[in-house]
Amino acid sequence: MLEIMPDWLLSWFSDDSLEMIDYLTNGKHLTWYASVRYTLFAAVLSALFAIGFGLIGAALKQSGFFLFRWIGNFYTAIVRGIPDILFILFFPLAIEQGVEYFIARSKCTAEQIATSVNWPPCEAAQWFLTTNDYLLMACLSLGLVYGAFVANVIYGALQAVPKGQLEAASAYGFNQKQIFWKFKIRQMWAYALPGLSNIWMLLIKATAFLSLLQVTDIVYWAGLLGTANYFPSAGMVHPNWNFQYYFVLFVFYILLTMVSEKFFNMLQAKASRGMSVVER
Amino acid sequence: MIDAIMNSAIIQEIILLAKPALFNAYFALASIPIGFPFAIFLALGKFSTNKWISLPARAFIYAFRGSPLFIQFFMFYALMLSLNKVLWKPWGIDEWVLHPLFIGPFVLILNTGAYAAEIFYGALRTIPKGEVEAAKAMGMSKSQVFKTVTWPNMLRLSWPAYTNEMVFLFHSTSLVYFTLPVINEQKDLMNKAGELFEKDYNIYLHFGVAGLYFLIASLIIFYLSELMRRRLNRHLA
Repeated sequence: MLEIMPDWLLSWFSDDSLEMIDYLTNGKHLTWYASVRYTLFAAVLSALFAIGFGLIGAALKQSGFFLFRWIGNFYTAIVRGIPDILFILFFPLAIEQGVEYFIARSKCTAEQIATSVNWPPCEAAQWFLTTNDYLLMACLSLGLVYGAFVANVIYGALQAVPKGQLEAASAYGFNQKQIFWKFKIRQMWAYALPGLSNIWMLLIKATAFLSLLQVTDIVYWAGLLGTANYFPSAGMVHPNWNFQYYFVLFVFYILLTMVSEKFFNMLQAKASRGMSVVER
Repeated sequence: MIDAIMNSAIIQEIILLAKPALFNAYFALASIPIGFPFAIFLALGKFSTNKWISLPARAFIYAFRGSPLFIQFFMFYALMLSLNKVLWKPWGIDEWVLHPLFIGPFVLILNTGAYAAEIFYGALRTIPKGEVEAAKAMGMSKSQVFKTVTWPNMLRLSWPAYTNEMVFLFHSTSLVYFTLPVINEQKDLMNKAGELFEKDYNIYLHFGVAGLYFLIASLIIFYLSELMRRRLNRHLA
């Protein structure tokens, strides 16, 4: 950074602050700033997964067939009773083991499978996951967990659409398909948005767990950069700065929440335009 | 027959995880009794018309609801560590201030305080105005109005949401040992389940039973809370 700064700019700063600027723009720090992409990508992709699972869950919950209804209710109830962190660790491990089980059946000998105490039973069946694979699995499990919350919200919102509206649409001669898409689903969003906004807030906070799944995200780098450094050869010598680094993350997440809040307020205004029933 | 049941993997696992479950219970039970009054004060602070009281309360609630508990644990542990040399060591209390059994509930109280305060604040705003006015018209003093109208109404209106918050708090206790050092055999459910998983790679058994403990704890909280809800609403029956 200091190399590309013009001289007149350099002369503005004291030596101490120049050292600080140099420190904050070294390779490790740039990697840290860049790792925000994992957090944001995971938040967006998990949200899409969650909407998908949520729509399926809501459809199951209001299904006429008792078995589907039962599955939908079970899905939304179990996620409420068990911490999200358990699912977030469980799904990737379970998926990994499931895949390795099938590889083992084709690659390992029957003897190895029967006697091995380790997992996977033989070296050949080991499935090496890259950061991106872990990221994808983390998104899938976040989507499954928060999909249950979304299912509850959408289910409630579908019930909240006034019956009179649908009857009026029918009286005007709209067919069933039009009534469903143009009236029920269209109005459902306005009722669902406050709930979905809350789930999005939960979801961005849950992206902090990515570091537990071997993803080198902002939390991972903050922990690494904050540890004390006593070797001048490894860059600036500093004591334990963990607090400062985690404080930056603390502020970062608060800002992310603020921006999301603004965005959802905008969306709410858009979704509820022309509707007088939704109270803001 | 009884031996066969007792020796089954699931029963053995349930016995094995009973002690770790006590740690989760400890974190929750240590946080709720202090977090509850703290949240009430925060909510009343946010509701206050004095901006020097309202603004700090608002900021606190916003900050702690807007950031992950996971980061809050890391941050406060790092803060406690950095204060060790100047404060805790000289005072001779470093042993227990830096202990997860202290920092765990400490951070949980701050976190649940913010979440519960927002719930109580929402309830304070929806207290029927007519009741407050009626109480004032009867000539009640401010503290009497609070005791007979504001307080019972706030508790009654916020109770269902506060129940959810208590369940979430119990779930959050599983984060303590992901972020703070584990001392000796002091392990909570997730920690112990993870350790057992690394021995035999049986994820369904270990995580399943750990999940079962959380599920049962959630049901107990829901049940006790339902009893309380009935008591709070007994005049409406």
